[in-house]
Amino acid sequence: MAEAFNFDPDKNYDEATMEQQRNIEKEISANQALVSFQIDFDTVSADYSKEDETYLGKIQDLKIKYKCVRRTRGDGNCFYRAFGFAYLEQLLTNQVDYARFKEVATRSKDELVSLGFPQFTIEDFHDTFMDVVEKVGTPCTTKELHETFNDQGISDYLVVYLRLLVSGYLQKKADFYQNFIEGGRSVKEFCNQEVEPMGKESDHLQVMALTSALGVAVRVVYMDRGESGQCNHHDFPEESSPSVYLLYRPGHYDILYS
Amino acid sequence: MSPKPVRSASPKPITIAKMSTPARRRLMRDFKRLQEDPPAGVSGAPTDNNIMLWNAVIFGPHDTPFEDGTFKLTVEFTEEYPNKPPTVRFVSKMFHPNVYADGSICLDILQNRWSPTYDASAILTSIQSLLHDPNPNSPANNEAAQLYRENRREYEKKVQSIVQESWTSDSEDEEEPDKKS
Repeated sequence: MAEAFNFDPDKNYDEATMEQQRNIEKEISANQALVSFQIDFDTVSADYSKEDETYLGKIQDLKIKYKCVRRTRGDGNCFYRAFGFAYLEQLLTNQVDYARFKEVATRSKDELVSLGFPQFTIEDFHDTFMDVVEKVGTPCTTKELHETFNDQGISDYLVVYLRLLVSGYLQKKADFYQNFIEGGRSVKEFCNQEVEPMGKESDHLQVMALTSALGVAVRVVYMDRGESGQCNHHDFPEESSPSVYLLYRPGHYDILYS
Repeated sequence: MSPKPVRSASPKPITIAKMSTPARRRLMRDFKRLQEDPPAGVSGAPTDNNIMLWNAVIFGPHDTPFEDGTFKLTVEFTEEYPNKPPTVRFVSKMFHPNVYADGSICLDILQNRWSPTYDASAILTSIQSLLHDPNPNSPANNEAAQLYRENRREYEKKVQSIVQESWTSDSEDEEEPDKKS
């Protein structure tokens, strides 16, 4: 039986909550790679019970259109990590877009600083981000990139920098994005609460902002309980030809390969 | 009576652990920046042999009841820094609506509004500004919060007593691993 809860006014419950949160995170990180190897759809089917016809039917639908999946860890950073890996993996073999992206990425630091982000800390994340971008430009294998994304320290720095790019872009276009923000918050407050802290999940807004900020088109394929038998998808920006494919299941993004 | 000078950033070189991680590299940078560009009224430095554990001092801001106080804190970082906030605690006795009895601090940027763009310098200056700008809506010390709202004079008196304590408690505080054995 649970003990009766006695509120102790001198106790710091925030820390107890954070401790519990840390334990949950530890358990997740022990069981899931940050970015997995490529796996086939039969392995994905094993996530669901045999009776779950809606989902199993949708996996069959995916199987027709896509080759395989890479899972990402469900730590709230999955959109950023999935996007980051999938896009950089593409750049390994696309020199034209690599040159374009490298320029955008190089320039982005000064843009963030001009938006009021603290130069000292931005530089730290930008340096690591550019190290990885550089590495992608030298002969680099998918295996090496995969290892880089599974090095927690570097991988999280990449996630942070992508978050900062989203925050910067939303703030730069605050007049537009303000319309999408609920709860009477300003764009800046939204960024402080939902974008910049690690582990905060991404919604449409963040996906829109990141794809626009970097000029990369993404197709998100939705696998939900909808009855159509097929997976719907949405391209960001609309009517673009996507170069990155992500699989969305409620609350989580993985990478798809066509 | 004037406050005693406080030991500031130690000039001794810091031992770097062999395996440098992003958190450790970043903390070295944070420390370097604190020394080169010290913000007014705060100081901090890693303890000997452990870059992850810092001692810090916040001077009570002018024109507040905390003025002239020299408040010591510990800042404990993890390998997840700067992606996760450090744990910050007042070591000196504190009387403030947002500081718990054990010295831990209720401040949004140290919890759910942490941003990896904050560094050690930003953390300490945020705590300093919390001193003169308490948030009585999320009280960690009910008595302080109530006095702050309802009886400002009594609040200031209580604060002044911990300001005075902050000067004297310094002398017994030699348990820091300063001395090499």
